[in-house]
Amino acid sequence: MAQTKLTKKNRLRELLVTLLPIAALLILFGVLCMVVSSRGYRLDMYLRIIFNEGVVLAVVATGAIFIYSLGSFDISLGASTLFSATIGVLVYNSTQSLPLMILTIFGVAVGCSLLSSVLASVFHIPVFVTTVAMMSVLSAVAAQIITTKGGALGGIGIPAAVVEPLDNLPFKLAVLAVFAVLCVFVFNFTKIGRRLKFLGSNPVCAKLSGIKVNVYAIIAFVMAGLGVGLGAFLTLVYTPSVTPTTAGSIGMNILVAIVFGGMPISGGSRSRIYAAIVGGFSYILLNNILKIVIDSGAGYGISQIVSAVFFLAVVYVTSMNYRTKLLPR
Amino acid sequence: MNRKITKLLALILTLSLVACLFAGCSKKSAAEEIKIGVLVADVSGEEALAFRSYYENYIAKNYSNVTFVYTEQLTDAAAEKSAIEKFAAQGCQAVISFSSSDRAIQLDTCIKNKLYYAVGSGMLDDAQFETYKTSEYFVGQIGPSMDTEYEAGYAMGKYFADKGVKSVAIYGAFIPNPMHVYRAAGVLAGLGMTYGGASEKDAIVGQIFGDQGIDTSKVGTSGVQLTGYFQGFGDTTFDELFGILGQNPEAFLSVGMATTFFTDALNGANIEFSDIDSFTSANGKAMSEGKLVYLAGKYSSSIGPIFAAIMNAVNGHPVRDAEGNALSISQNYLVATDADSFAKYSTADQGDTPIFNKELLDTVIGDSISYDSFVSLVTADRS
Amino acid sequence: MEPILEMKHIRKTFSSTVALGDVSLEVWPGEVRGLIGENGSGKSTISSIAAGMQKADSGEMVFQGKPWNPKSMIDALQHGVGMIVQESGTISGVTVAENIFLAELGQFKKLGIIDRRAMNKKADEALRAIGVNDVHGSTPLAALDFQTRKLVEIAKVVMKQPRILVVDETTTALSQNGRDILYDIIKRFRKEGKAVLFISHDLEEIMEVCDTLTVLRDGARIRDFRKEEFDPDAIRTSMIGRELQGDYYRGDFTPSRLDEVALRAEHLRSGDALKDVSIDFHRGEIVGIGGLSHCGMHTLGKILFGAEHPEAGSVTTADGTKITNETAAMKHGIGYVAKDRDVESLALNTSIRDNIAIAGMERYAIGNFLVTGLKERPYVDAQIKSLSVKCSDRDQLVSQLSGGNKQRVVFGKWIGRGSEILILDCPTRGVDIGVKKAMYELMDQLKREGKAIIMISEELPELMGMADRLIIMKDGVIMKEFARSRELSDAEIIKYMI
Repeated sequence: MAQTKLTKKNRLRELLVTLLPIAALLILFGVLCMVVSSRGYRLDMYLRIIFNEGVVLAVVATGAIFIYSLGSFDISLGASTLFSATIGVLVYNSTQSLPLMILTIFGVAVGCSLLSSVLASVFHIPVFVTTVAMMSVLSAVAAQIITTKGGALGGIGIPAAVVEPLDNLPFKLAVLAVFAVLCVFVFNFTKIGRRLKFLGSNPVCAKLSGIKVNVYAIIAFVMAGLGVGLGAFLTLVYTPSVTPTTAGSIGMNILVAIVFGGMPISGGSRSRIYAAIVGGFSYILLNNILKIVIDSGAGYGISQIVSAVFFLAVVYVTSMNYRTKLLPR
Repeated sequence: MNRKITKLLALILTLSLVACLFAGCSKKSAAEEIKIGVLVADVSGEEALAFRSYYENYIAKNYSNVTFVYTEQLTDAAAEKSAIEKFAAQGCQAVISFSSSDRAIQLDTCIKNKLYYAVGSGMLDDAQFETYKTSEYFVGQIGPSMDTEYEAGYAMGKYFADKGVKSVAIYGAFIPNPMHVYRAAGVLAGLGMTYGGASEKDAIVGQIFGDQGIDTSKVGTSGVQLTGYFQGFGDTTFDELFGILGQNPEAFLSVGMATTFFTDALNGANIEFSDIDSFTSANGKAMSEGKLVYLAGKYSSSIGPIFAAIMNAVNGHPVRDAEGNALSISQNYLVATDADSFAKYSTADQGDTPIFNKELLDTVIGDSISYDSFVSLVTADRS
Repeated sequence: MEPILEMKHIRKTFSSTVALGDVSLEVWPGEVRGLIGENGSGKSTISSIAAGMQKADSGEMVFQGKPWNPKSMIDALQHGVGMIVQESGTISGVTVAENIFLAELGQFKKLGIIDRRAMNKKADEALRAIGVNDVHGSTPLAALDFQTRKLVEIAKVVMKQPRILVVDETTTALSQNGRDILYDIIKRFRKEGKAVLFISHDLEEIMEVCDTLTVLRDGARIRDFRKEEFDPDAIRTSMIGRELQGDYYRGDFTPSRLDEVALRAEHLRSGDALKDVSIDFHRGEIVGIGGLSHCGMHTLGKILFGAEHPEAGSVTTADGTKITNETAAMKHGIGYVAKDRDVESLALNTSIRDNIAIAGMERYAIGNFLVTGLKERPYVDAQIKSLSVKCSDRDQLVSQLSGGNKQRVVFGKWIGRGSEILILDCPTRGVDIGVKKAMYELMDQLKREGKAIIMISEELPELMGMADRLIIMKDGVIMKEFARSRELSDAEIIKYMI
């Protein structure tokens, strides 16, 4: 009886923790609307900008959920985004073919992910090491290509007209929706997703339940690669050029987004695809609110400090659920 | 647990309330205001801070209807584009850019959002300028061109070669940043060195871009010896510096940032050094008390004329050349080689008494200002 | 005579769950008092309160005539109450000696530097004092197995010469040799007029070791038994609150099996653990494998399931397929209930549903790919129902279940997918007798359905009670095979184990 009561309470708590990130997103959205309107800024433009800022992060983070659900992480995703976009630009410039460019971007992104995962799983190198190495290698190679080819311009690009027709809200929204639906489907309704989550919850038990750990790690990285490819493509749609710093902050922002989305960094069964989207946009909203509210003359970095505090608060709340589970024996 | 959630909700609500409060304190009325957005890639450098101080503490005070809106640090083209879009949403009429990830996208975005655009420092690539020079929203560019950067490096190299220095070390700052590549290429040429067999500007620059730095094995020399080269700034930078100083070069030539990073170390090692930077107080001290012997620099009010150009455009009287093209005026560095020459430039450009003061700027703000008056304003000898 | 420890009206709750509701307990000099009860009865809670591991919500304690409010386990140990905990109480990154002297490294400091030689020597002395002769203070703890770590922990506590020793479910982690060490310590405590609080699931053991027994149920003290009142049935009845048949093992004593060999192990070798082991496992047969903890039987279980690779030899199924990994094993209907339940058999912070469903996806996945709740939910619910898992619903986290219910989930995971061969490594470890009985009944039923059951256990009574064939291993070698018989005696079997 007592057990049932406790469980009900746990369930309620679980539900609250699930709903909190969405509530936070809505609150942040509301606050942004208020702040923007009260300053006399154009809300419609602001919302479009924020969507553009958030969509690449949301897409890449959505793919990255597959890796994070394993309790693993990939710090090289930003560098992969840059690298795939760079190769995509080169291919377009030599073939003038948009489809070929898109195909190349996906090919390269998935290839990079595959390489990371194969190195990690087949040769038993810790994921941290392989992705750090991949990050350095990919950004160095991309920077080399960009500065060699770009020279004094500091960047390389494709003609803006090629992707301009795609630089609009409906297209990007559709891309995000299709990818999110695909990921939700794979994550929740296929053996792959279910096994990935279980693997994240307890790798030892997963292995003893017949789950091939290496195979699933590779699958997770491939899914993340698809997100990176899509992210690289959307980056080019927004700004049809790449510089050595393009997508530089994505790697860390993914981590922040996923945490803001209410998913534990340890992965496992509480992994949720929507965490990437909710968290990604929450983070972007928060940043924008802070940038408007805190006068940049007040000192650089204050808004970063505030978001860091927010981040820690979220980590505290999401981990609270675990810490209070100390049950009587 | 419930208490914790209540606390959390309270925290969120409080944060939102505080945000609203902040939001309520809006500034001047928007009616007659001219709002200029400023794109910045460097937010903390001494030069960047001096530029900002000139705009916010001198210009904004003397032109009371002008407000500057600064971005946070912009790291890539996407950040630049979205910053410009935000300027548009905030009701800015013009953008001055000190960020150079992708100037073409900056311009396209400004044109799309009907914002006037000017390059605050540096210059567009020639081809880019050709593309945009007739655009109604491109106000122009006043600053050192890549050629000027090369020339600045060249003059610095030649200064030491002429002095009879026999061995030097070079710091490449943030190569492959194009500005630093051009300066470094100039330094090599000025010292009478070849690179990969080449002595021509374009050939040297192309190779440095390709090598992502200077490969010392490719440096050919007949007179001055290159004892060491390094670039970037990280955990091992000082190890590299001390390794290079161990070779006892007679001079240390930097294409940027050396005065910020290495002044103490170089003074301590008693090695003469040079840099391309700006006329800041720290640099003045290094020149009067330390071993800084050559400084090619900008002064903070050098960004005054581009503001004047923006004002004209916003007021409906853009300044164009005879063919209707945007402004493009190369602004040279001022060179100080001793404490006296340094003092002359720096004392002339103090906070309340900048070189480009209101009186001077007002001569080029109006409804019938010619292109030539801008050229003569910028290129007049200010020493 | 005064009691050494008096606990009066102790109450302890976790959120809305009452772990202890007004329990009083006295411990007398020279007494070995057993605490027994099902999982969640409160026995660990009350002993951990006495030993400073947690605080009571209300109530008072008197120790040696003075109010007793230990701030921590270390504080309690220093003042006379030491506890050997159920879970591992040692830290694996450091040496044996550092573990033993963790809280008092200061005493070995000379000029700010720890004198390791002196510390190791003292650690050796502490270990020798309880009869552990082959472990040294300088050994890294990580190099020791679970049982030896437990012994280190025992040495650490006993060295402080507490007045009361609390032993919480320690013997399940110990082999016979380790148990003997502990029993000796307990006897010494009794003789010296100190006291022991002994907690165990094992009724036979607790009756053997203790002088008095307190039965707890649902956070309440139900009844005390003095040694002369000890009666297994009466104790069990008061533990679970209902009548329970005296014998919960199989009723028959005739070995039986089908002719068909389900799994064949041939010439398996694996380091010191297995030295040329060959066994045929038949359908419809329960094969018991027993021995001391290190005899190699646990390694054998893993190899049979493909989770470890033997250096030589093979495991083949009836159709001749070699089992080289878990996936192949599962494909051929082999299920494996691992010894370390919380690590190897379950993902704790995951729902019952996920834990049961994960192994049986091919039973309900559409096109062997698509997984929908429509087919998954009935699959999971069927297991929960047939194994009577006590839970609020299928989405409850496994970590919230009691040990016995966790084990039911593990069984559900493997039985649900229709495993034809079940490797059960210590299937009743840490579960109470109610669950044990259910597990035995289930095994019997599975046998009758023609499944092959391989039961690896460190508990001789259950092996004797359940197996058609009992294989005793020692040092990686099969020492003896016994057929099921009413005449089998512990003494006879133990001879081959030691």
